[in-house]
Amino acid sequence: MTATVARLRRYGVRPAGAALVLWAAATVTFLALHLVPGDPVLVLLGGGSGANPTPETIAAIRHAYGLDQPLYAQYLHHIGRLVTGDLGVSTSLKEPVAGVITQQLPATIELTALALLFAWLLAGAVVLLSTGRGALGRALGSGLETVAAGLPHFWLGVVLLYVFAFRLGWFPVAGGTGIAGLVLPALTLAVPLAGYLGQVTRGALLTALEQPFVTSARLRGMSSAAVRARRALRHALLPPLTLSGWAVGALFSSEVVVESVFARQGIGRALLNAVLARDLPLVTGIVLLIAAVYVLVDLAVDLLHAVVDPRIRTPREL
Amino acid sequence: MTTVLTAPAQAEPLVRRIRPGLTAAGIFLALVVPAALAPGLLTTYAPDAIRPADFFQPPSTAHWFGTDQNGRDVYTRLVHGAGQSLLIGLGATALSLTLGITLGLTAALGGRRADFAVGRVLEVLFAFPGLLLALLFIAVFGTGAVTAAVAVGIGEAAGYARLIRAQATTVVRSGYVEAARGLGHPPLRVVRRTVLPNVLRPLAALATLGIGQSVVWASSLSFLGLGAQPPAAEWGAMLADGRTFLQYAWWTSFFPGLFIVLTTLSTTVIGRRLQAWLDARSS
Amino acid sequence: MKPPSRRRAVTSLAALALTVLATGCGAGAVATAPLGDRPAPGGTLTYATDREPTCLDPHVSGDMPQAYVAQQFLDSLVALDAHGRIRPWLATSWDVSKDAATYTFHLRRDVRFTDGTRFDAAAVKANLDHMVDPATQSGTAGGYLAPYKNTEVIGAFTARVHLDRPYSPFLNMLAQAFLGMESPKAIERGKEANCAAPVGTGPFIVQKWNRQSDVELVRNPHYNSPPPYARHTGPAHLAKVVWRFIPEPATRFAAVQSGQADVIDALPPEDQASAERDSRLKAVVRDRPGNPTNLALNASRAPFDDRRVRAAFLYSADVVNGLKSVFFGQYRRAGGPLSYVTPDYAGGYENAWPHDPKKADALLDKAGWGHRDGAGYRIRKGRRLSADVLLKSDISPNQLALMEQIQATAKDVGFDLELLGLDAATVNTRYLAGDYDLRDGYWNTNTPDVLHTVFGSEYAVHHGIHSNASYAKDPAIDRLLRTAQATTDQDSQRRLYGKAQQLISAGAYQLTLYPQTTRLAAHRASVRGAALEPALSLPYLYDAWVNAR
Repeated sequence: MTATVARLRRYGVRPAGAALVLWAAATVTFLALHLVPGDPVLVLLGGGSGANPTPETIAAIRHAYGLDQPLYAQYLHHIGRLVTGDLGVSTSLKEPVAGVITQQLPATIELTALALLFAWLLAGAVVLLSTGRGALGRALGSGLETVAAGLPHFWLGVVLLYVFAFRLGWFPVAGGTGIAGLVLPALTLAVPLAGYLGQVTRGALLTALEQPFVTSARLRGMSSAAVRARRALRHALLPPLTLSGWAVGALFSSEVVVESVFARQGIGRALLNAVLARDLPLVTGIVLLIAAVYVLVDLAVDLLHAVVDPRIRTPREL
Repeated sequence: MTTVLTAPAQAEPLVRRIRPGLTAAGIFLALVVPAALAPGLLTTYAPDAIRPADFFQPPSTAHWFGTDQNGRDVYTRLVHGAGQSLLIGLGATALSLTLGITLGLTAALGGRRADFAVGRVLEVLFAFPGLLLALLFIAVFGTGAVTAAVAVGIGEAAGYARLIRAQATTVVRSGYVEAARGLGHPPLRVVRRTVLPNVLRPLAALATLGIGQSVVWASSLSFLGLGAQPPAAEWGAMLADGRTFLQYAWWTSFFPGLFIVLTTLSTTVIGRRLQAWLDARSS
Repeated sequence: MKPPSRRRAVTSLAALALTVLATGCGAGAVATAPLGDRPAPGGTLTYATDREPTCLDPHVSGDMPQAYVAQQFLDSLVALDAHGRIRPWLATSWDVSKDAATYTFHLRRDVRFTDGTRFDAAAVKANLDHMVDPATQSGTAGGYLAPYKNTEVIGAFTARVHLDRPYSPFLNMLAQAFLGMESPKAIERGKEANCAAPVGTGPFIVQKWNRQSDVELVRNPHYNSPPPYARHTGPAHLAKVVWRFIPEPATRFAAVQSGQADVIDALPPEDQASAERDSRLKAVVRDRPGNPTNLALNASRAPFDDRRVRAAFLYSADVVNGLKSVFFGQYRRAGGPLSYVTPDYAGGYENAWPHDPKKADALLDKAGWGHRDGAGYRIRKGRRLSADVLLKSDISPNQLALMEQIQATAKDVGFDLELLGLDAATVNTRYLAGDYDLRDGYWNTNTPDVLHTVFGSEYAVHHGIHSNASYAKDPAIDRLLRTAQATTDQDSQRRLYGKAQQLISAGAYQLTLYPQTTRLAAHRASVRGAALEPALSLPYLYDAWVNAR
């Protein structure tokens, strides 16, 4: 296979696959709407103050959503609406789903970005500090990672909130405003994630340290720290980069818990409230959004791989 | 690996011999499993016995972990809750393993088209990270302990399916199956005798690791009010209940949280060890 | 002036006195901090509350969180003063026909809605029509206006309201924020837009609703229509109010402790004692008039269609001890159908249903539920004595704990109570269909006519919004309440409502728990002058100002 064909495959087939996945995800959300027990019209009308509709209202909604048509036509209608960016109207908030998402997304993106940064810093620090310090250091480091990775977000969040906001008063108790309100929720997300990242990075780092080039570099007199930092870590960057795509998705779903613990605005909390209210249009809208973000980030990571991976760029360097 | 490059540490043999993590994990699970099976043996109180007069008693000899807002004994509720919490975790893991094995084996044994189809299905499932699929499931079918267990099981299935698919494909492509077929064994027997054992052995370790994850996810759902409903003594629900009174009575939320964390850590440590042991045996 | 003990002072102001949160000069003010701080214009007040409304227009649906925030941006036709008397507000005067079925309102001529629309008789008509329009889905305002026929625009500033029968509580109802006046132009935008940003003539304007976070209110610079209980005229002192939603009780309390919020409501009972001890905070607790928080027993279907079974359930519950524990002794028991601060409240029914399991057992034996199954639940003809308790999943932790206690004590006498923590939509669907045995509820209002709203058979609708959640249908009760509506004579009202309370209590329609209460905590260093209005004890921020922190 020539390099051009390989590139074509990478830049052409992957996006096509991603589109396929998105289409399938949209289908799953369509099925979800129709799997709900009961009349989908009543589901779409939702409850709270909005229920108790007149027969005219029911007929109007049935027609507006095309629910009086055969299933395949409804399906095409559903996909058609999604393609034009129409995600429907939230039954609990009585607002267009797209509007709700636009309003809630910035807070979630802020949080996700900071959490990912914190996670990298924490994971990097633990791995670098504990590697090369003998078995005890390694055991401590990996023990720390195991504990961190096993901490449930709701528990960690409640503890951090209690200690650093309620007791010590270092951070605001109810988030939302400014960077100070962002620190505790971001840490809550970052610590378990750092545990996972650390475990993976450690493996890659250790493998890298066992490579012959490290030996030769040391023989040439490079300090061990320099070896670790310059060559090995870069070599070890690939698996974590792949993980980042996964991490963004995982963060989005963990935010359901964290945003509600810290009473923060965001799509995670909107999703939770939508699930609690069984607001199917909003649930499917947000789920679809997260799936789309996840697929696109994954695609981006895949393409970036080619840039970072030295074997792909200059195979002969090793 | 050469000993010159990784400085040999004095502590290594000691750590190896004692394995403090593994021992602690073993002891913890040895206490939790009987609690789940026969809670009556470990406590004399009833989990739902309400004594308004005894509300929010701090930990004492009468109430080891204190009492909650209804005067119920927190230790007793934790012991009785072990059954439900672990059952949800086990049930979810069992479901996701069943789904995972079915999908994985279909892909590995069903030929190119099946492999392609399963591959696409898995890609779609992977587009719903973490709790997302579980949340979608709950939005459709409503809240409750059983729904939560099924939701978590479905949410975790894709991960297992991918691993089993990879493992099974390796086994199928290795010489074993060819050899078995060559000897004239019927295909089902080949699957049962050759493929399954090779696939399932590493799975034991994964499943152990998975139980911890399932317990955390299921208790997350309960914490959010989507799983077990009151007055069930489920750990996540207890933590959610107690969180309101954190300033006033830390023990009502501290201990349920601690038990969830310890359960996860224990299953992780044991799962890892199992994995290492199986790896060592197979090589 | 000697500062009285805070909590006692507050509860002793029980009747409809105006309570002021911090320093002030009005009657009934609780003076604490040194006087002399002059109202400072400008600044932002952060108010934190527990529940986020689904719609900011209080005409729609009509739950308390809507009234709380609407009080800040809507004015009403009339107001109640501290002594419970009706006073002019947007209406300067009114004439009531002899049969008390026609009300003619003479309106202020100088008031404009904040979108520039003139406030006039046409606006009054548009508002009342909007409240009774079935499309508005108005449970509270629409329910209060059940006798409404139409409004006649007599002149630009004279509106005549026709009711289909004598209805003496009408003016009291009009004084509530649920019936606040909104711009007709804004109403015409449709439900969605009006829910997001209703437009009133009030001291603040809804600027932006950041869902799941807050509502931003800004000062109405042209405000000229303060209610009679206000302590200044002209625009509000505050430039801005951030109306935040912090559902988690402990977090909300921590927010006011740290000064991150200036005022919070729904002060959690577990934190009330520490709020009172904390010198930085000022706690204000005032019980509200109306039907207390209760569990309504559905008398339209088995098992609670039998009065003996209802009575047995009421005897099984140990509400007093429950309140002592899960509400930290901060809530008083309400035993009768009216909260003790409601006009014409009769005190004889507070202990009508004490905790008495023996009586409960005897009643159930007599009602044919003599046998118990292996789990201790009573059975009859192979059916268990079970009851579904319809609860919303966002119920407060304390209330949920109380429900768990009621469940446990009911189990002792053989009831199998299932606590259903359901989503709002399912709760609503089942409530509309009458598909429940027990349902938690309350009804805040300022007249004893609440008995009609909650126990009148005309509100026992089987498929639709029904304020009579227990489906009480007693012609004797109906007659008493209709007669009370038709008279304005206070003595006969007292007699009629007293008799009605007796029949209702004896009917065992509700397990009443505790009076509805406004519970605020304010940060002393940062806020002054926040008050409770007299009609529903809602917080009122028009007179408030913030100090530089």
